[in-house]
Amino acid sequence: MPVITTRNLSKVYNPDTVPVHALRNVTLTIEEGEFTSVRGPSGSGKTTLLNIIGGLDKPTNGMVVINGTTITGMKDSKLIDFRLNNIGFVFQSYNLIPVFTAYENVSFIMLLQKRSKNEMKARTEELLEAVGLGSKLHSRPRELSGGEQQRVAVARALASRPKFILADEPTANLDTASAMNLLDMMERMNREENVTFVFSTHDQRVIERARRVITMVDGAIDSDVQQNGDRKYAEE
Amino acid sequence: MTILLSISWRNIWRHPARSGVLLGAIIAGLWAGIMVSSLTNGWIQQRFDNLIQEELAHVQIHHPEFLTEREPWMHIDDTDEISAFLENDDRVSSFTVRTLSDAMIQSALTSSGVQIRGVDPDRERQTTTFHENLIEGEYLDAEVRNPVLLGERLVEKLNVDIGNRVVLSFQDLENDIISGAFNITGIFKTANAPYDERHVFVRAEDLYTLISDRPIHHEIAIMLHDQTESDDLAADLNQQISGITAETWYDLSPELKYITDMGGSMTFYIMVVIMLALAFGILNTMLMAIFERMRELGMLMAIGMSKLRVFVMIMLESVILTLTGASTGLVIAHLSVNYLGRIGLDMSGVGGESMAEFGYDAVVYPIAGTNDYVTTIILVVFTAIIAAVYPAIKALRLNPADVVRD
Ligand SMILES: Nc1ncnc2c1ncn2[C@@H]1O[C@H](COP(=O)(O)OP(=O)(O)OP(=O)(O)O)[C@@H](O)[C@H]1O
Ligand SMILES: [Mg+2]
Repeated sequence: MPVITTRNLSKVYNPDTVPVHALRNVTLTIEEGEFTSVRGPSGSGKTTLLNIIGGLDKPTNGMVVINGTTITGMKDSKLIDFRLNNIGFVFQSYNLIPVFTAYENVSFIMLLQKRSKNEMKARTEELLEAVGLGSKLHSRPRELSGGEQQRVAVARALASRPKFILADEPTANLDTASAMNLLDMMERMNREENVTFVFSTHDQRVIERARRVITMVDGAIDSDVQQNGDRKYAEE
Repeated sequence: MTILLSISWRNIWRHPARSGVLLGAIIAGLWAGIMVSSLTNGWIQQRFDNLIQEELAHVQIHHPEFLTEREPWMHIDDTDEISAFLENDDRVSSFTVRTLSDAMIQSALTSSGVQIRGVDPDRERQTTTFHENLIEGEYLDAEVRNPVLLGERLVEKLNVDIGNRVVLSFQDLENDIISGAFNITGIFKTANAPYDERHVFVRAEDLYTLISDRPIHHEIAIMLHDQTESDDLAADLNQQISGITAETWYDLSPELKYITDMGGSMTFYIMVVIMLALAFGILNTMLMAIFERMRELGMLMAIGMSKLRVFVMIMLESVILTLTGASTGLVIAHLSVNYLGRIGLDMSGVGGESMAEFGYDAVVYPIAGTNDYVTTIILVVFTAIIAAVYPAIKALRLNPADVVRD
């Protein structure tokens, strides 16, 4: 079963005034374990696509199925709960709660999930260790660099044991070294723990690291190719 | 819940200055509110005590027309029967009988209209605290013929002093004018200056021997163990004893009843005004806090924090902030009330002396009960919740998709 399926997704902003066709008939399947990048010029609909897949926004037409569950048309309150337990998010910025430490930011999501104290502690430490922040458990976001903050965000996204992680331009605010560092870490999580990643980016160096590259132009999928060919994906 | 408490508490301290200003306003507001209401309560209680304890007592008995006509012959017919009744009534703590008369007082220089209150010194002392108002000289049990006590004001007006003799002229039972010479043995001062000018105290016996050939009394003042039984006792007296009218303190002094009732609602209105001001302060602070955290709140809802939790978090932030200020304010208020309750607040510097014209003490002892503090805390929490509803709803209306976009 694919982790993500979208069927004929379209999104029109301002349908009554100046309609903007942000997505046109996007049909897409993402399997477990993928490491997929969505690229495209500014305004091509990358964020819109990721937001709709993540249940943050609603499509004008079409539907989204996550791991067998159709989330299109789901009630808001149910959707929040669905997101909590199925999808990990990493945003470009404002990922962390500024008044919480790295440790608290990561364990927070497990608190929302009502996980046991022991599991929470062990997993938080393990994840922060894994993203290379074992020594900064108790630092607040403002005491961390941009790259470190994004790594905490990835650890937080992983903490909830989601089906996949959506990352909208996770490296946009990072310098090259930090960006590559973050990518290394994401790649390792993907390889070692089979975590599915879907991320959007402008950055050519990031695109090069992906194993599948979906190119958006004007709200539609322009091309969908595999690279770094160590795995096989079903062709559209 | 603990996590929400912790996040709320830390959010409050994100802007120590902003939260500090609101905290300061809450502390000052509640302190001022408690002070004003406790001083008002103290004032009213003192006024109540002055009137009830010094003279009025809880229930009074008169000839049915005495209070309106004040004729000497309108005395109580059978004092003994009533005394027997009162002595056997468990509700009664003590009572005293009085002989009253309107009179003219003359000194060597001038004269003035007064009311003579003829009292039984021993029983009066057991029933009321009037004797505590004596500021100079001796009470009526002095070993002097026809002693009289004058108020400080009257002493000044007549230009007399202890040891001087004054002449009192009044009507006897046949409405003939009688005069008697009285010796000033003491000077009193109550909280009510006009009262001091209009009243003189003599022994009932000295007065009634001049106007009648047998003991007569115009007034019986009764103190109860529990003032709430005033109504019952007055009703029983009116029913069982003919030829008299028994009235409660609030029949006799509707003004006292009025200010006692007013005091409560005034405190309430003061608190309402303070709460309104607080509500705007809280609303403003919470709105600022929400607006600057739009992205963060959107992120929280995006990753899976339910609307209910977001709502509770914002409410907690408001309530915790307000409660912190309120408890500090109330502790300071409590300390102030306790301190001033012991030493009193002298209002004479701010026009308190003129309050004496209306029968209020210049030195006020504030009174605040546990009830007042509890009510205030409840009001404050309620206000904090109400004031945070709008900001919280604004936060809930956020669309995470819009907020996480750059
Ligand atoms: N809330 C909105 N209301 C109206 N139009 C919108 C809204 N959000 C996005 N759009 C429009 O939809 C189109 C797609 O936007 P989107 O943000 O998905 O592009 P993007 O590929 O993520 O661009 P970027 O690389 O700049 O992030 C753009 O033309 C944008 O102006
Ligand atoms: Mg975008």
